[in-house]
Amino acid sequence: MHQRLFRYMVVIMACMILPVFALRGEDLAGNSAAAHEEDKPIDVKEIIFEHLGDGYGWEVPFNHHKRIPLPVVVKGSDGKWHVFSSGKITDHQDYTEDGVTFRLAKEGEHKNKIVEVDALGNETRVTDMSVTKNVCAIFLTMVVIMGLCFWLKSWYKRNGYKVPRRGLGAFEALIEFVYNGVIKSTLKDKAEKFAPYLLTVFMFIFVLNIMGLMVVFPGGANVTGNIAVTLVLAIFTFCFTNFFGTKHYWKEIFWPDVPLWLKFPIPIMQLIEIFGMFTKPAALTVRLFANMMGGHMIVIVLTLLIFIFASFGPIVIGATSVVSVVFSVFMLLVDVLVSFIQAYVFTMLSTIFIALAQESGHEEKHEKKEDAGGGAKEAAAVTTL
Amino acid sequence: MELFTPDSGLVIWMFISFAILFIILAVFAWPAIMKGIAERANFIDKGVEYAQEAKSQLDGAREEARGIIDEARRQQADILRDADKMKTRIVEEARVAAQTEASKVMDQAKESISQAQKEAEKNLRNEVSAFALEIAQKVVRNQLKDEKSQKELVETLMGDMK
Repeated sequence: MHQRLFRYMVVIMACMILPVFALRGEDLAGNSAAAHEEDKPIDVKEIIFEHLGDGYGWEVPFNHHKRIPLPVVVKGSDGKWHVFSSGKITDHQDYTEDGVTFRLAKEGEHKNKIVEVDALGNETRVTDMSVTKNVCAIFLTMVVIMGLCFWLKSWYKRNGYKVPRRGLGAFEALIEFVYNGVIKSTLKDKAEKFAPYLLTVFMFIFVLNIMGLMVVFPGGANVTGNIAVTLVLAIFTFCFTNFFGTKHYWKEIFWPDVPLWLKFPIPIMQLIEIFGMFTKPAALTVRLFANMMGGHMIVIVLTLLIFIFASFGPIVIGATSVVSVVFSVFMLLVDVLVSFIQAYVFTMLSTIFIALAQESGHEEKHEKKEDAGGGAKEAAAVTTL
Repeated sequence: MELFTPDSGLVIWMFISFAILFIILAVFAWPAIMKGIAERANFIDKGVEYAQEAKSQLDGAREEARGIIDEARRQQADILRDADKMKTRIVEEARVAAQTEASKVMDQAKESISQAQKEAEKNLRNEVSAFALEIAQKVVRNQLKDEKSQKELVETLMGDMK
């Protein structure tokens, strides 16, 4: 066992040290074209934002220029939908279809977005429904989750009361953990009604987070670190909270138990409560987005340190490589944990928000209030995470 | 900052995808999975309950068996004690019977011996008396051979009668 570990360590060290020698060799060789290219200062910000943002193609490992082409779907000024491969516009060249010219904007307000170019060369943003990297990752996640769920379902059908092992067992354990630990303990008898949504949200975020950590093709997309995605998820939670809200919940908003002057004739409390309705999903949106984007950003920055320090010579670059790799591995491991925690926290907050809107009646008011108080405190604690 | 402005295309795709995913899973997957988990949990609970019951029953049976064995052992001891008691009693009785029988025989023997003794005594007395009488007769006869002595005797006797 120890021998094996030692051998792995040696291989890893060799992998880290060898490039240093290779670079030194290149330096000694003098003015090779590659060395010249490496000497050019790199645009760190550009690289970071490219990796964090969405894209019309999907990067492949070990190549900066080739991308997996994805379908671009845009509505031109002629009112028609145009569908073409993203391979046609990768290098910011013009693509003309049916007399309408599209281009990937090089700079300006719509940088790296598809714009329509008119005869005078003016760029205008078009209605863009392209299946981008993130959309593609969402589709893949859908497939993965559905696959897992139907696999588990068929397991029950085939094996009766046998407990699934290994991967499927882990998946089931995850479901049970979330269902019993979060949903059931907070929503009590209403758990079954909201469990499908909350479990879907958890699985969706969790799978996307984990896939985002994988650097090569089926992963690598920073989807949950994209505000559009978290916004939609938060809107779903908002809808579930308010559409299924009880009479009591609405009464608390429009006619809360406070001194009359606080709610009439100037509706101070109502304004605060209605504002509160919207801050909850806003908090959900921002915290998931910021957490996941931060995780991705740290790993990218750590990796980029190697290239930033490249100009200081082989010794520095070697040392930086080792340190950077060690730190990025550490950060990626932390991110695995964060992936789970963020999915968990989003689900928990959604559950609490839904539970707060499920309060009802006076008969169970007392214990419920205590419950909700605890829940709100918990929510406040978690929001700071 | 493009990072902070949601992209409308992505929002729409995300909304559609998530809605589809949610509806499919909510209709076909989650209820079945929840049911599967719940049913299995019930099944396991029932199994545990059954096992506990079986164990308690087994314990009960063991207790009962031990009770029965104890009872049997006690009965055995009782029987043995009874048998022992009976044995001593029988021996005692036999001994007493033998003793009484023996004493009876002895008594009888004593009686017969004493009777025989008495008889012998009587016989002896009779014989002695007869003998004495005979001797006396002979003496008397001898003494009363003459007239004189006869008269003397009558006179003595007559004198005695006075």
